[in-house]
Amino acid sequence: MAQGTRERRRMLGRFWLRLTVFCVLAVLLLAYAAYVLTPKYDYGICSMLNLYRQPLNSVDVLAVGTSLFYSGINTNVLWDEYGIAAYNLCSAEQPFWVSYYAIREALKTQRPKVILLDAKPSAYSSDYTKRGRTILSTYGIRGLENRFGAMLACVETPAEALGYLTALPQVHAYYNQVTGEDFIFPPDNGGRGADWKGYIESDEVEQHQRPSLVWNSVKRNLNSREEAYARKIFELARQEGIPLLIIGMPNPDYAYDHMYYNALWAVAEEYGISGINYNDPNLRYGLRYTSDFADWQHLNVKGSMTFSRKLAEDLLERLDLTDHRGDEAYASYDRCAQQWYEQYPTFISKP
Amino acid sequence: MSILSAEFLLFGVAVVLCYYITPLRLRWGTLLVASVGFAALSGWQTIAHLAALTALTWGGAWALQKLRRGRRLLLAALLALDLGAMLLLKYQPALAAWLNARFGTQRNPVWSVWELALPLGLSYFTFQSAGYLVDVYRGKAAAQRNPARVGLFLGFFPQLAQGPISTWKELAGQLTQGHAFDPVEFVSGFQLLLWGYFKKMVVADRLAPTTEALLKNEAMPGLSIMLCVALYAIRLYMDFSGGMDVARGFCGMLGIRLPLNFKRPFFAQSVAEYWRRWHITLGAWFRSYVLYPLTISRAGIALGAWAEKWLGKRAGRVLPSALATLCVFLLIGLWHSVSWNAVLYGGYFGLVMALSMLLEPLWKALRRGLKLPKSGWMRPVRVARTWLVVGFAQYFAFQDSAQTSFALLRQSFENWQLRDAAAQLTALMPGLEWGIALAGAMAVLAVDLLCERKVDVCGVLARGRVWIRWPLMLLLLLAVLIFGVYGAGYDATAFLYTQF
Repeated sequence: MAQGTRERRRMLGRFWLRLTVFCVLAVLLLAYAAYVLTPKYDYGICSMLNLYRQPLNSVDVLAVGTSLFYSGINTNVLWDEYGIAAYNLCSAEQPFWVSYYAIREALKTQRPKVILLDAKPSAYSSDYTKRGRTILSTYGIRGLENRFGAMLACVETPAEALGYLTALPQVHAYYNQVTGEDFIFPPDNGGRGADWKGYIESDEVEQHQRPSLVWNSVKRNLNSREEAYARKIFELARQEGIPLLIIGMPNPDYAYDHMYYNALWAVAEEYGISGINYNDPNLRYGLRYTSDFADWQHLNVKGSMTFSRKLAEDLLERLDLTDHRGDEAYASYDRCAQQWYEQYPTFISKP
Repeated sequence: MSILSAEFLLFGVAVVLCYYITPLRLRWGTLLVASVGFAALSGWQTIAHLAALTALTWGGAWALQKLRRGRRLLLAALLALDLGAMLLLKYQPALAAWLNARFGTQRNPVWSVWELALPLGLSYFTFQSAGYLVDVYRGKAAAQRNPARVGLFLGFFPQLAQGPISTWKELAGQLTQGHAFDPVEFVSGFQLLLWGYFKKMVVADRLAPTTEALLKNEAMPGLSIMLCVALYAIRLYMDFSGGMDVARGFCGMLGIRLPLNFKRPFFAQSVAEYWRRWHITLGAWFRSYVLYPLTISRAGIALGAWAEKWLGKRAGRVLPSALATLCVFLLIGLWHSVSWNAVLYGGYFGLVMALSMLLEPLWKALRRGLKLPKSGWMRPVRVARTWLVVGFAQYFAFQDSAQTSFALLRQSFENWQLRDAAAQLTALMPGLEWGIALAGAMAVLAVDLLCERKVDVCGVLARGRVWIRWPLMLLLLLAVLIFGVYGAGYDATAFLYTQF
C-alpha cells in the first residue's frame, strides 16, 4: 500500500515536471511564432526593439510620434550635418497614450536632452479607432508594466485586452506575409541592421499645394483621451526634468488640423511647454509642396532632408546639444548615416 | 461564453485546477458551481430554465418512483411540461407568424411574438431531462434524492452548448463520484481538446466562405455549387465533431467520459450506418424514446397485424418500423427548424431509410444476381453512394426556403465549365487558404482512417514516448494558434449546432 502510494507520488512528480517543461517549451515556441508573425516595420515594433540595442544614454533627441515623424525627421541628416544624435521612436498613427508608455520605456535606457512630440494625434477625433493597429505598436515594448499599460490604454475595458495580451490572436493572420527576414531576431530593420535610428524614408513624389488657411488662434476641443495622455506626457517630462518640444510636421492637409494644434499648444502652455509648428506660413525654409511630399501627409526623402536641416537649426538655437561626431561612443550613428547615404547617393550632404 | 473564447480557456483552467484541489468526494460540487457559473454567464434565460427544469425533473422522478397508480398519466404530464416548454420557446416565433398570417392582420395580430432569447442548449438538456424521466418510469434509473445532482446532470457545462445528449446511466455516476488525477487521461483529454480546436478553427471556420457563397444565392457555376454543398457537409462535420472533441477532451482531463457523438460518419457504407455514426446521441435518444415506443405502440402493432394479413409476414414485421423511422426523421428534421426544408430534409432521409428497410430482399437478390462482393472494391463504392445520398440532402440543410434549395439544385446541373468553377472558387478564398483547408482536412482524414482501423490515436500518443508526443502536440498547438480562424482579421464563427 505504502509502496503503491510512493510509486504514485513519484509518477505524479514526474508528470508535473514534464508538464512544466512542456509549458515552458510551448511558451517559448509561441512567443517566437508571435515574433515571426508580427509585421514589425511600419508598426513601430522595430524602432522600439532597436532602441534597446542602442548604447546606454546615447540618444540626445528622442522623437516620439506618428508616421509623419518617422518619415519626416531624417536622423541621418541630423547626425551627418549637425552631429545631433536623434532617434525616432514612432509608429503609424501612434496616439498619445502609446507615446506616453513608449517614452516611459525609453527613459529606462536613455536620458535624452530633449523629447520631440508629434502634434498630429491632437487631431485624432476618436478614442479607440484602429485598435488593432495601435495595439500592434505596443508589442515592441519589453517592460511588462509599460506594455500592459499601453495595451490597456488602447481598449475600452480590461476584458477586451485579454485577447491582446498574448500577441498571437492579433498577429496570427499575417502568416501569408511572412518572409525569411521575419525569422531573424532581433529584427534586421529592413536590412538596416542594429545601427538604424528609426527613420523610414518614403521614395515617392506627389505634387501638392501649400495649404491655404487663415492662421488664426481658434481652438477646437481635443479628444478627451488624447488630451489626458498629452497632459501625462507633459507631466512626465516635467518630473524627469527633460525639455519637451511639440512639433507640428509640415503637411499639405494641415488646414483641418490647425484648430486642434492650437488647442494642444494651449494645453502645453499650462506646463510651460512650447513647440514649433512647421505649417506656419511665415516659416520659409525651402520646403516645396510640389516636390517634397510622398503623399498627402508624409514628407519624401528630399522633403525630409530639407525639413530636418531646419529642425536641426531650430534645435541648436533653442538647446545646448553637443556635436558628437568623431566620438567613438556614437560610431553607430556614423555607420547608420553612411549606410543611408550609400543607398541615396543623390542626396549628398552639404560640404 | 463561447468555448472558443479566451474567457472560456481561463474558465476551463480554473475549473480543472479547482476540481483537482477539491477533496475527492466534493469534486462534484466544483462541477456544479462551475456549471451554474457557466449557465449564468450565458444569460438569465439559461439559468432560469435550467433551475425550473431541475425542479420539475427531480420532483417528477421522485413522484414516478413513489407512485403506484397513475404513473403513466404523470409521465405524460411531465413530458408535456418538459418538452412543451422547449417546443413553445423554440417554435413560438414560427407558430405566431403562421397564426398571424392565417387568422390575424398586421394591426391586430393573433399572437405577439415574445422576443425571448433561447436558453443555451435548450434541446440538449430538455432531451436529457425527458430521457431521465422515462428511464425512471421504466425502472432503468433510480430517482436521485439530491436535486443539485439532478441539476448538475442537466446543466453540466461542457455539454451545454452542443450536447452530447447523455443518459442518466452514462453520465450521472461519473459526475458525482469524483475522479482521482490520472496523467494519461489528462494528457489524452488535452490532446482531444486541441484536436477539436484544430477541426473547428483551422478547417471548419476556414470553409465558412463557401457556405456563405451558397447562402448569397448568386449565380454560380454548377460545379462550384456541387463542391460548395459537399464542403458544407465537411464543414458541418468538422464544426460539430470539433466542438464535441473539445467538450469530450475537456471532460477527459477531469476523468469524465462523455458519450461519443460522431464515429467518422463519412466512412459509412449505408445511410442507416451514417445515422448510427452521425450525431449518435440524438439518434440514440430518438430510437429509445420515440422509435421503439412507436413501433410497439397499439397503433404500431395493429399496423403490423394488418400488413401481415394483406402484405405478408415480412411486411408485417418491417412496415411498423419503417413508418416509425419515417416519423422519427421527420421529427429530427423539424428539430432543426420549422420550415418546409426541414420537412424535406427529414422526410428524405426517413424515406430513404424506410425504403431500404422495405426493399431489403430486393437489394439482396440484386446483389446475388450481379454477384457483387460484400467487401473489397464494393466498400468504397458503397461509401461513395452514401456520400451521394447524404450530399443531396445538404441542399435542404442550410437554406431556409425550399424554393431556393430547388433553384440551387437546378443550377448545379448548369454551366460545368472547369475554368469558371476554378475562378469562382479562387474568388471565394485565396489559394493559400484553400491549401490550409485541404491540408487540415487531409490531417483529419488520416487520423479518422487510423481510428477506423481501431487505433486509439489519443490513447497511444498519451501513453507513448515524449519525443513523439511533444512535437506533435506543439505542432498542433501552433497550427491552431497560427492558422485558426480567430482574433484580428477574422470574424469568429459560432458553432453551427449551438442554435438548437
